[in-house]
Amino acid sequence: MTRYELKKVFFRTGNKIALFVLLAMTGIVCFFACSVPYTDADGVTRGGPWAVASLRVDQKKWEGILDEDRIRQVIAENKRITDSPEYLSEDVTKNNIAYSWGQGIMEIRELLNRAYAEGFRDYNYYRANGLEEADAPQFYGNRIMLLEEWLRDEAADTFSEEEKAYLIHQYESLETPLYYDYMKGWSQLFEFAPTIVMITMLVLGYLVSGIFSGEFTCKSDGIFFTSLYGRNRAVLAKIKAGFLIVTIIYFAVMLVYTGITVGYLGAGGWKCPIQINQWKSLYNITVGQEYLLILAGGYMGCLFISFLCMLVSAKAKSAVTAVVIPFVLIFIPSFIANINNPLVNKILGLLPDQLLQIGAALNYFMLYTVNGKVFSAVPVLLTLYPALTLAFIPGIYYTYRRRQII
Amino acid sequence: MELKITELTKTFQDIHAVDHVSYTMTNGVYGLLGVNGAGKTTLMRMLCTLLKPTGGQITWDGKDIFSMDGDYRRLLGYLPQDFGYYPDFTVYEYLMYIGSIKGLRPVAAKKRTEQLLKQVGLLKIKNRKMKKLSGGMKRRAGIAQAMLNDPAILILDEPTAGLDPSERIRFRNLLGELAGERLVLLSTHIVPDVEYIAKEILLMKDGKFCASGTFKELMTSMSEQVWRMTVRRSEVEHYLNKYKVSNVRSVPEGAELRVLSEVCPLAGAVKEPAGLEDLFLHHFGERSGEADDEI
Repeated sequence: MTRYELKKVFFRTGNKIALFVLLAMTGIVCFFACSVPYTDADGVTRGGPWAVASLRVDQKKWEGILDEDRIRQVIAENKRITDSPEYLSEDVTKNNIAYSWGQGIMEIRELLNRAYAEGFRDYNYYRANGLEEADAPQFYGNRIMLLEEWLRDEAADTFSEEEKAYLIHQYESLETPLYYDYMKGWSQLFEFAPTIVMITMLVLGYLVSGIFSGEFTCKSDGIFFTSLYGRNRAVLAKIKAGFLIVTIIYFAVMLVYTGITVGYLGAGGWKCPIQINQWKSLYNITVGQEYLLILAGGYMGCLFISFLCMLVSAKAKSAVTAVVIPFVLIFIPSFIANINNPLVNKILGLLPDQLLQIGAALNYFMLYTVNGKVFSAVPVLLTLYPALTLAFIPGIYYTYRRRQII
Repeated sequence: MELKITELTKTFQDIHAVDHVSYTMTNGVYGLLGVNGAGKTTLMRMLCTLLKPTGGQITWDGKDIFSMDGDYRRLLGYLPQDFGYYPDFTVYEYLMYIGSIKGLRPVAAKKRTEQLLKQVGLLKIKNRKMKKLSGGMKRRAGIAQAMLNDPAILILDEPTAGLDPSERIRFRNLLGELAGERLVLLSTHIVPDVEYIAKEILLMKDGKFCASGTFKELMTSMSEQVWRMTVRRSEVEHYLNKYKVSNVRSVPEGAELRVLSEVCPLAGAVKEPAGLEDLFLHHFGERSGEADDEI
């Protein structure tokens, strides 16, 4: 039965087109994710495999523990570059030549900008240029100090005392010194992951919306519901088909996306802590773990929204209403995000669109206190939505099996 | 084996689509006749458990069909009025899928599908997509799916609607062949569809059975008689308004009318044996002047 349900979905012309669009969009996103520029010694910026290989060679030179000595070396190297005649020149080509020397320390230099910022929420691209080697010892201490200052002043009323203590504890728990490695493959993958997950979600929503309503639109409902399994096993087969479609297509797309991006740009750096890329994140996990979270979050989000689509199409007997749901769930939060209200923000932090962009959620200080215990958003999301998705299954089953044909 | 309807009622807001209907059916073909909107489809949907009654009960061998759930559906074969199918499935795939949801094991489904395809004359085109079949072929695929589980109860809702005369005859013959030892309820508003094959005929009007019985019983119960007479063309309108006229035919002398009347409508009118169409007109027909009729 499930096989035939899958056939019903994949035989439909509209669905074939949707899959083709998904394939094309995956290709386009992979292209952008793999587009890494590199400026050569002559100041000419180029792309392609050569650029990737050159960048990797440059950044690999700085692989290792980011201890005080290494920070000092990076500050010194940055100073050497910024004091050079090429950097100070008014000739753009010479500026580009100077830029080319700094590509190896580019990521670490970015960490300096954040670690030595004036305030927790400040950002100054040129901050690293003003540092002296003597500033190196404050590198990790500054991270905690800036947070504490911010929680005392600007964010004093935003968090409860338990939440403040939780944030400081998370910062202090970060194992330092951090390990640095070339990780362009992962950083590019993370940057474009929300795009690919959202596109996949929209296509999946479209595909599964017709599973239940299809019987009504084809007018085959009468025969379906009068068959022996029409009000039990055949309904379960439809749910199973929906689950398989989401699972197979989602993981196939992510496999292709990961395979191409990481295969092309390199898989190195997966053991590094995410703070190399997301300095302020309160989640003390590695890049590899972040990838798994993105993968799991995206899957949970796709599954939840797809099952919601199936529930609506089973109830409304129409795919049109159901197809709108993913758009509403993805785009409405971005409209109401401008409302600066702590309660609204807390609600927004738990909406399913967050699952589709877990990488971004790792940057937010979205906390939830239940009975005095503080939880960060990501574990809450990954617990809440599987439970809700499971709750949809009996909902879909009973809605559909009780259907009457008037 | 007995399908019993007791005081069956279905109400949609203020409309009684089926109004306190009672009847008992056993094996054989039952023809359900009625004009559009008489409540035939609603009745059939309740008999198929697609629609729950507002009141009354339907039992199969004494058991409520809604409580029987799967045990009742196992016995059922249904061809709805708007026969829907999966357009991108081939005939074979379609029947195999229906076989699977009817609980047939793949091997049995395959064997039964081949057998039915042969019987309905679709074997040669079993790999053709459903959307590419003609109206008659689709109906034949429809009857094949209804027969897949060798049902004890076969319910066919307007199976010949939209078919050309030759397809209708073919369908009727096929049905006679397939009827066998089962209960077949055939709803239609095309009278000849049931005239020859039905064991009993049920006439439905405004949600109620207005007459039922064998063809002979129904004919005998007719209070009106059938008269054939020839009138001038200018008089046709007068007779159409005064009597129920089942046929008007132009002849050199004027027009030949087939009139239903308890008394002789015109000197020289010849009494004719009544047919099912006359019975249909007797129950459902109105004189031209009475109302917009649907016949």
